[in-house]
Order: sequence, then structure tokens, then C-alpha cells
Amino acid sequence: MSDSWTDRLSAYLDDELSLADRRAVDEHLAQCEECRAVLSQLAGVRDWAEEYEGEPPREAVWNAISSAVRGDARHGDIVSLQEVRRRRSRMWRVIPAALAATLVLAAVGAGSWTVGRATAPTREILVTANPMRLITTTSPGRSLLVAERYGAAIAQMEQALFANGDQLDTATVRILRQKLIVIDRAIAEARQALADDPGSAYLADHFTNMMRRKLALLRNAASAGVTSS
Amino acid sequence: MRELETDVELTPAERDVIDVELAVSGDAQAFERLYRRHVGRIGGLARWLMGQEDVEDVLQEIFIRVWEKLHTFKGQSAFKTWLHRLATNVILRRRSERGTHEERYGGSEYDMARAQTGRATPGLKVDLEAAVGQLPEKAREVFVLHDMAGYKHEEIATMLAISPGTSRSQLHHARMALRQHLDG
Repeated sequence: MSDSWTDRLSAYLDDELSLADRRAVDEHLAQCEECRAVLSQLAGVRDWAEEYEGEPPREAVWNAISSAVRGDARHGDIVSLQEVRRRRSRMWRVIPAALAATLVLAAVGAGSWTVGRATAPTREILVTANPMRLITTTSPGRSLLVAERYGAAIAQMEQALFANGDQLDTATVRILRQKLIVIDRAIAEARQALADDPGSAYLADHFTNMMRRKLALLRNAASAGVTSS
Repeated sequence: MRELETDVELTPAERDVIDVELAVSGDAQAFERLYRRHVGRIGGLARWLMGQEDVEDVLQEIFIRVWEKLHTFKGQSAFKTWLHRLATNVILRRRSERGTHEERYGGSEYDMARAQTGRATPGLKVDLEAAVGQLPEKAREVFVLHDMAGYKHEEIATMLAISPGTSRSQLHHARMALRQHLDG
């Protein structure tokens, strides 16, 4: 082992050597146990840095952040409609994605929610409705975990929304209930199809996407409640 | 109807994607999950790039900015990468506003020697995390920016006003010093 070799090991590790230099280091490593050990240690340091999680700061830091982004909303809660109204200007600035989704969903007829195993997924609409990257999975089990996460958010959102139903005008409530009936039926069909064919990644993705659309619908309804006030 | 079964766990990156999406649509709990998943690492970045002072303050600024900018995250890179870039920008701007921090956070060849030998010195055994803090300033900055924040040497050279070759050299020296502190 000499400095002339060890000096090149970090670049070797990061794949930054020329082909000729890399071959030379390969040949040296084949016969130098010390350099192999150093290389292994350098890789260990790099892996440690990649995986480093650190220690959380005092809880006061989160409390300050939470207060700043949510006004005086209660810690850990979904933002209530009243709270949304109070912070209307901020919310509209922060969540343009929801605005875009509102426009797109308004253009989507209730009939388009209906799906079945023979129906192609309306992926283009989903992409437009939410600019975030869609989660595409190859594992049904993984998709179902995603769906579960959406399910929890949906339950909280429904509870918050209908607990404050008097904040919505009657036309909004009527449209919301109609759409919920349709999308709940679509979710039930997707769930049944997946139960019949639990190995299908396509059906698992489809089920997840139906859950996403329901959550988007509920969020948009909350926003509509804000704008109608 | 058969019960649906789940037999796999989501990766951290997948959990991030879901929580970003939920947070963008207004789910405060999803934002809190993102915060708790990443704040320790971002705190390390801040501490090693600007010293212990003001770390909590800069963490607040970073995560408030994350909340405000979250809708611009398009998923073209991992959320962790996006967050590191945002955090580094805030940290370096803060550091620039504050001026030189040499006197606040050590930086000398003595520190490199201390970082290398601390583990072997009786009574001075330090772990890898502490050893990062004992690296000379430039070596520590390059190590944090490259191996933790994911910047390339050319980017680091611009950020720190050094050459890419110096960045590569400092990274190697930092790793060589830190390897002494690996377990096992």
C-alpha cells in the first residue's frame, strides 16, 4: 500500500477514474490486501453518510414550524374548514395543486368515475388532477399499503368535512354526495376485482388510484366550502 | 369476498412520495411525518455546515420553506434529494449572511489529526458522528456536501470557491480520517 494508490481509492469508489486508471487500480487491488481493506473502509464511511439519520431537535422546533404553517390549528389535526377559511389566502397560495385538481375534476363527468376490470384506467386524468408523480408499483401488496395510507387520510377528511357540513352550500353538498356514491361504487368494484385476482399489479394500482381520487374529491369539496363562504 | 393482504413494506422513498402528495393537498399530519423522517439528518447538515449556533432557527426556516415550496416538487428526483438541495441553499445563504464561521467551528490541520486519531487515543474515543465535527472546515464541508447532500464536485467547487480537484482531494482526506472510526 502506498499513497499513490490510496489517493485514488475515493475516486475509484465514486467511479470517477478513467478506464485506464480504473484498470490499473483493479490490478493493484487484486494483489494488495491493505488497499482492499482501505477501500472497504472508505465505502463504509460513504454508506454511513448516506444512511445517517441524526438526532431530532427539541420538540419546540416542530411546535414553532407547526404554528407557522398552520396558524393556531391544533397539533396533529387535519386542518378544519374554519381554520382553512381563516387561512384562506395562505392555503390558496400553498396548494395550487388542489386548485388544478378542482378545475379538472369539475370537468370530469360523474360517469367517468365508473370503472370495471375491462375499463382502461383513466391515468391521464389522474396525472392532470395531481401534478405529483403517480406511484406506479409492480407489487400488489405494496399498492395496498399505499391504498391503506390514503384510506386513513380519507376517513379523517370525511369526518372533518361532514362534521362541518353546515359550512357547505346545499348545491355543493348535493354534488359531493352524488360523486361520493359513484366513486365509492368504483372503489368497491376495484376492491372486489382485486380480491378476485390478488396477484394483479394492475388492479392493485387501479384500486389505489380510486382511493387517491376520492381523497382529491374530498379535498376539493373542502376548498369549495371555503370559496362559497 | 377474500380479504386483501399486504405482505411488503413501503420503502422510505415511497412513503415520502405519498406524504408529499398528502401534504400538498393540505394534510398537516403528512407534513409532520416528512419532518420527523428527515429533520435529524437535515440538522446534521446544518450543524456541520454552519456550526451548532442557530441550528434550530435554520431548521425552522428550512421546513417552513419546504411547506411553502412542496407543491413545486415534481417527483423527478427523490424527495430526499430535493430536500437536501433546498436545505443546503438555506444553510449556505444563512452562513453567507452571518459571515465567516471559522472562529465558530474549528478548522485546522490539527483538527484533521485529531479526527484521525481520536478513536485510538485513550479517553478520547469518539464516534464517527463526532469525528465529522472534528474535521477541518473544508474537508468537513466537502464531505457533507458530497456524501450527505449528494452534490457533485463541480457543484461543490462553485459553492465553496475551490477547484473540483481540491474538492476531490478534500473528500478523500475526510474519508481517510473518518474510516478510523468505523465500528468493527
